[in-house]
Amino acid sequence: MSSSPTTSETEDFPTTFANAVHGGLDKVLGQSGAAAVLSHMKMSSNLPDPAEFHKKLLALFGEKATLSLERAIVKDLVRRLKWALELLSIEGPFDFSATMHRIQKGVKA
Amino acid sequence: MTTRKSPRSRPLTPENRQRGTAGSGAEDLAETRLATVFGLKQFTQRPVRTLLIKGLAGTGKTILALEILKAAGKGKGAYISSRVPKELLQAHIPAMKETLDKQDFLDIRLEDATSVLDFVMQLTEPKTVRTIVFDSWDGLAKELDQKERLRAEKTLMALANNSGAQLIFVSEEPGATTIDYLVDGILELLRVEEQDRAVREFIIHKLRGTKIPQHKYLFTLLEGKFTFFGPYAIPDYSKMGKFIQRPDIDGSYSFGSGALDRLFGGMIPGSTLTIEYDENVPHSALRAIELPPIINFLSMGRSAILLPLPGANDERTNSILTKALGESAVADRLRILSVVRTSDLETANLPKSATPKEIHELVTRETTSLREKSKDRSVLLVKSVSALENLFASDLDSLLEVTSQEIITLAQSHDAHILFLPKDSPIRSRILSMSSSYAKLFVRDGTVLMFGVKPHTGVYALQHLEDPTSPSLTQLV
Repeated sequence: MSSSPTTSETEDFPTTFANAVHGGLDKVLGQSGAAAVLSHMKMSSNLPDPAEFHKKLLALFGEKATLSLERAIVKDLVRRLKWALELLSIEGPFDFSATMHRIQKGVKA
Repeated sequence: MTTRKSPRSRPLTPENRQRGTAGSGAEDLAETRLATVFGLKQFTQRPVRTLLIKGLAGTGKTILALEILKAAGKGKGAYISSRVPKELLQAHIPAMKETLDKQDFLDIRLEDATSVLDFVMQLTEPKTVRTIVFDSWDGLAKELDQKERLRAEKTLMALANNSGAQLIFVSEEPGATTIDYLVDGILELLRVEEQDRAVREFIIHKLRGTKIPQHKYLFTLLEGKFTFFGPYAIPDYSKMGKFIQRPDIDGSYSFGSGALDRLFGGMIPGSTLTIEYDENVPHSALRAIELPPIINFLSMGRSAILLPLPGANDERTNSILTKALGESAVADRLRILSVVRTSDLETANLPKSATPKEIHELVTRETTSLREKSKDRSVLLVKSVSALENLFASDLDSLLEVTSQEIITLAQSHDAHILFLPKDSPIRSRILSMSSSYAKLFVRDGTVLMFGVKPHTGVYALQHLEDPTSPSLTQLV
């Protein structure tokens, strides 16, 4: 699965989201770390459900590291969608699942 | 890869303790042998979560990592090997077979970084694993580029942080790498030359949140176990036990100490043993060599003369000897003759400015008198060359002459002779050339070390682990 930035014009949201997960995890954990996390979660090829993904990250890394990883994923996703990051308040603690739903809704709209 | 459920280790009760060999008396518990050095206590209590053990091949990194795994892992650890399979490791270090059997063992020789990180996630996610050893980390990390390596290391730190597991990285990379900045503690193991002999040393480069009273320590891998040596501690003579007489060994006099007998094989009648010492060797360490032969000689019904080291406390010596032997043996068959003390010279009717020859005559008279009281007419003469040198600094030739005569006389009479010689003695080479055996005492990293030059022996750490009057000698291997 490619993790290079693309736009929503060439990819559907699930693909963009999956690429953003790879890209965001890569940025923080490196390629081997990202691949290990997804393999461990058995999500290498499946689209991760944000809520389930959040729960699994939390179990592995704890709150602080999970927040950093999720923020990296959101940033990557927003970059791929060419959105302005300011539209999403992710500087403090935020709800990853809710944010993903917001983005997905925005894309559909 | 094999992953087993780890059984719990045995409870750490005194009954489980086993004594070490070589007279070391070292406890078999890793906790005790490692003690609080490099903050093992802190490591087991968690402020130090990640530790890097570095050093060249053959310096003892694996044994140390296994010792820490044994102590901190408490049967809930994992050993990740990128170098050797479990069976081979157990064959190389039989003392660690049980430790390896009690932990999970992951053989990652053919695995990539992703698989290894996945293994670590499997280990850390249930939050039950206490300690994970990567031996070696660089074996895997070298396959990654710099940025990827740093990220993989950060991933490991994050996993450890969340699970509460402790990580020990073993590395053969001598220089600072990315992981040096991430870990809480760094230990470096070295094999260094000291007086033509190899000794092992470890350096504590960093240990976050832990007071480091000393940065360098010596250690041994005797019997495949990591045993460090703390700074020399003065023996507590209040804990003196009953002296156990040691009979002659195949015609040689015993040193009165199993450790010294094993090192030198006893004192051949008529021989002279010279103990050379550095200026920083504590007096009590010299006393540990000086007193056992005297006590044993007296306990065997023989006699002894002691010309003590400068600054020696004669009352202290007397009280130790009396405690070990009783008053009568000490009063009847021991003469402590302090040549730097005016009262001793006056008692012998010698002037304050007595010559080496006069002192020699005094010693000869005392020897003759004590010979009569000795069960088999043999006498032990223990003499400080330094005390005589101080007294006869302007007439060292005469001192050498009488010392030479003394050695010849003692040889003919089958007595035993022990000389204590300071390293910087101006008559050192002449004394050594006349000595039948010769040992050296010196201090490194606060540990008193001893080895035989004549005959050639390995290096031993001198401690007082059992009886305070008798030294414990543990070989540095």
